[in-house]
Amino acid sequence: MMSRMDWRDVLGRGLELVRKELLQLWRDRVLILFLLYVFTVDIYLAGSGLSFSLHNATIAVMDQDMSHASRELASRFQPPEFQRVAAPGDPRAAQQLLDTGRSMVVMQIPPRFQADLGAGRQAAVQYLVDSSNSVLGLLAGSHAAEIVGRYNLEQGAARLAATGAGGRLPGVDNAQRALFNANQNEAWFMGIAELLMLVTVFAIILPAVAAVREKERGTIEQLLVSPLRPLEILLPKVLAMTLVILAGVTLAIALVLRGVFDVPIRGSLPLFYAISALYVFTTSGIGLLLATIARNLAQVGMLAIMVLAPMMFLSGMWTPPEALATPVRVLMAVSPMHYYIDAGFGVLLKGMTLAELAQPLLAMALLGALAFGAGLARFRRQFA
Amino acid sequence: MAVAPAGEAVVRLRGLLKRYAARVAVDGVDLCVQRGRMHGLIGPDGAGKSSLMKIVAGVLTHDGGTVEVFGQAIASERDAERVKQRIGLMPQGLGQNLYAELSIEENIDFFARLRGVDEQALAARKRQLLAMTRLERFRDRPMKKLSGGMKQKLGLVCTLIHEPELIILDEPTTGVDPVSRRDFWAILDELVSVRGLTALVSTAYMDEAARFATATMMLGGRVLAEGTPAELLAALPATVVSVKCREQVEAQRRLGASFRDTILRGPWLRTVVDAVPGEDAPARARSAEARVREALAGLAIEALDVDAPDLEDLFIARAASAGVAAARFAPAPAPAKRMERTHAPDYNAIEARGLVRQFGDFRAVDQVSFTVKPGEIFGLLGANGAGKTTVIKMLNGIQPPNAGSGAVAGADMIRAPGQIKRRIGYMSQAFSLYLDMTVRENLRLFAAIYGVPRARRDERVRELMRLCDIEGIEDMLAGDLPMGRRQRLALACALVHEPEVVFLDEPTSGVDPVGRRRFWDILFRLARHEGVALLITTHYMSEAEQCDHISLLYAGRVVADASPEQLKAELAGRRGELWAFDTPTPQATVKALQAAGFAGASLYGTAVHVLDPDGATLPARVAGVLAPLGLQAGPPHRRPLTMEDVFVERVLELEREAAQ
Repeated sequence: MMSRMDWRDVLGRGLELVRKELLQLWRDRVLILFLLYVFTVDIYLAGSGLSFSLHNATIAVMDQDMSHASRELASRFQPPEFQRVAAPGDPRAAQQLLDTGRSMVVMQIPPRFQADLGAGRQAAVQYLVDSSNSVLGLLAGSHAAEIVGRYNLEQGAARLAATGAGGRLPGVDNAQRALFNANQNEAWFMGIAELLMLVTVFAIILPAVAAVREKERGTIEQLLVSPLRPLEILLPKVLAMTLVILAGVTLAIALVLRGVFDVPIRGSLPLFYAISALYVFTTSGIGLLLATIARNLAQVGMLAIMVLAPMMFLSGMWTPPEALATPVRVLMAVSPMHYYIDAGFGVLLKGMTLAELAQPLLAMALLGALAFGAGLARFRRQFA
Repeated sequence: MAVAPAGEAVVRLRGLLKRYAARVAVDGVDLCVQRGRMHGLIGPDGAGKSSLMKIVAGVLTHDGGTVEVFGQAIASERDAERVKQRIGLMPQGLGQNLYAELSIEENIDFFARLRGVDEQALAARKRQLLAMTRLERFRDRPMKKLSGGMKQKLGLVCTLIHEPELIILDEPTTGVDPVSRRDFWAILDELVSVRGLTALVSTAYMDEAARFATATMMLGGRVLAEGTPAELLAALPATVVSVKCREQVEAQRRLGASFRDTILRGPWLRTVVDAVPGEDAPARARSAEARVREALAGLAIEALDVDAPDLEDLFIARAASAGVAAARFAPAPAPAKRMERTHAPDYNAIEARGLVRQFGDFRAVDQVSFTVKPGEIFGLLGANGAGKTTVIKMLNGIQPPNAGSGAVAGADMIRAPGQIKRRIGYMSQAFSLYLDMTVRENLRLFAAIYGVPRARRDERVRELMRLCDIEGIEDMLAGDLPMGRRQRLALACALVHEPEVVFLDEPTSGVDPVGRRRFWDILFRLARHEGVALLITTHYMSEAEQCDHISLLYAGRVVADASPEQLKAELAGRRGELWAFDTPTPQATVKALQAAGFAGASLYGTAVHVLDPDGATLPARVAGVLAPLGLQAGPPHRRPLTMEDVFVERVLELEREAAQ
């Protein structure tokens, strides 16, 4: 059993090792600059640059009817969603517009469009949508459908009015109120999402790099022959990297999320820090695991990409779990990032409290403890 | 191939200059490599050997001077392309140019196809080269499963597959054990003398200079000395005097004060005594002895030997006159306080009893036992894979043994590995330092790790910087230090907690001879002044001579355990003394003597060495073998046996036993 004096020794050694990790990181100017960049500029770019709404989608209208009705329909495709480009004369020219990417949507209005409508028959229009970017393709398609739907309704109403049956159609008014992000400000979502993602990336990469560097240089041997135990070697690395990442989080929240995007931090910031620290600490186990497998920095980089890519897909950031097939949902349940994102958005945007988040946090802690335990066990086996 | 007359220059360098950013790697070198000869480049890491060789091979550009290869001036990449097909380059590093996953044969085929060798010629050459290197049996073995020596032989085969006229081999013997090294040199000798190849070969081992027809010694990008081994030695008018003194510490202090270069070899002190100008050889030896006796006046001299200097002595002498800082070292100051360690007389600092370590089917360490006393310098020798590292790991408490027991620094290996870790220091061959931290930061970190009390830390750091001769560079990054200083810093880090036992795993690889001597000077102080027990492994046989006590490991077993002196005496008793004679036809002579059963017949440049118990009848017996073949040899000279001879003979004996 250790006496109290021993514990003080252990603590002193540990602090000295944390200091050493921070010192080494500080000397690595390239890494420091990179960290500064991602926790500020990168989050800013993600929040302001990337957008999931349709902006100035190019549409070419092949109007074969040249009637009042066809022009009326075509004129409804307006900025900000759509942008009209040259009207092709024939299907071949239309195809070319799509092939060359000069137009994203081609709308073909057939001859007799106005005549059919006038006669009360079904009139058809055709869209050709470039869906190489499936999200934008889908958005363009649904926007177009909405425009045509509204046109349809108006046509119906006009016809009803003309027959004297009263100017109103029965219908459901679609009243929607966005909660938590009233203006559906994408910068908020994207900025926070990027921050949470970066925290994950660095929680894995920084400790992995710190550990594999010692392996590459052979300094790990030197530590192993010292009185340090494996946990005493790894813990300071993880602690130091947690501190660094939390500093990055502070920078991002103060300068970008609050400073630029005016994200209202609804929950408790200390709670968010505590959650992040727990998350970084536990996720670093994955990084340590990678460091025991990899022989050098390059291999760590590649392994990290291999692990991070599925983690992100399964994080639920882009798709809610309910939308996924059952096996994928099971996988999602074991991704600690999934819980971190729930908790992160929960605290920052929804103002959730510790009690409300107990379940995801517990799951996160459990998974993280497993990862950390596995990393430590492999490290022990490899070196001891 | 068109064989031009021997003696024609294949490579000619004039004022060669190569810079990497601000650092000058090659600084105005003139060099001429003659056809059909083996030309050596000898120098430590960073001497500029690799840069020079790459420039000659046409894979690196130069910044000044002229380069001529096969009479072709190399000024551009296109010039280099014209002669590339006639050159074979084997880069530094074990198996560096080979593919680990491919078999021996696949590696050879790959290089042949790369060079456009047609299939028929390839089959014939492959057969011939594999036979010559005795790799035939292992054709299908993946390269990664070869031993260091075999990897280097395969590298050589791949370099030769397109039949180059000039081969450039960058440190082919570094990290290879002495037996494989001899084998490699024998193959190379045959290639050069029988097939008329020209070879430019570099090495970091000074004693290998004796193997070249012409040797160029380099340091800091410049040429220190050049000539045949005989010419080089003749250029150092000095005598080596070895004395055995009971009061070794005092004797070393006095010799250090009077002479340029004194080192410790077990109970002996070996001093290089420079000649007084005008003395002839016999007078030189007499006066050297007299001057040493005078310096040691009043001390009891138990034994005294006079010998000629070797090539390492020459290197150090030249480095000193070339103004290399600290090639002349001050005598070790005695520590202010002598460490008080009182132990029972039968106390052993390290005790290994029947250690066994099994990895699956492979027994890495088999019944290893030895003991090391406080204040003793103990050498653990053996080829790569002989089990040295595993023994050290067990003694360090990192790896438990499968059987056997032991104690280190008074702590039991099995019951108290934690105690061991606290009482020992460890220095690895990688000089495991944090290169992005300063000298002081490194020392302070290790002091904290080993629990040196905060109040004592600064004082201890100062003491260590003085002991290890790294004062004045406290705030430099470890990564910016030259190898020698980096090595001494690594030693200092291993000593922060004043350990009783220090393990040093190949601590001098890559360090120049001057740096190595300074390092040994510190080890000497630790052992003799502070009573620290040192366990050291090394590939340099000249360093093995400096140990008090040696264990030789072979296939996980201890096959020799005694002092270097005893081991050499034992070899002399069993196999005879070492004799060298010059011969105009070295290759044919050595072959004839080997065939006639002369023990240990091997080639050193233009000299042949044999082990023979009877020097009186040796000339007649040698002549009896050579005369019928029309060969000649000069009179034999007796040479001192080296630890390399001991190592090689012992391992060859064991290999023969294993084969039977």
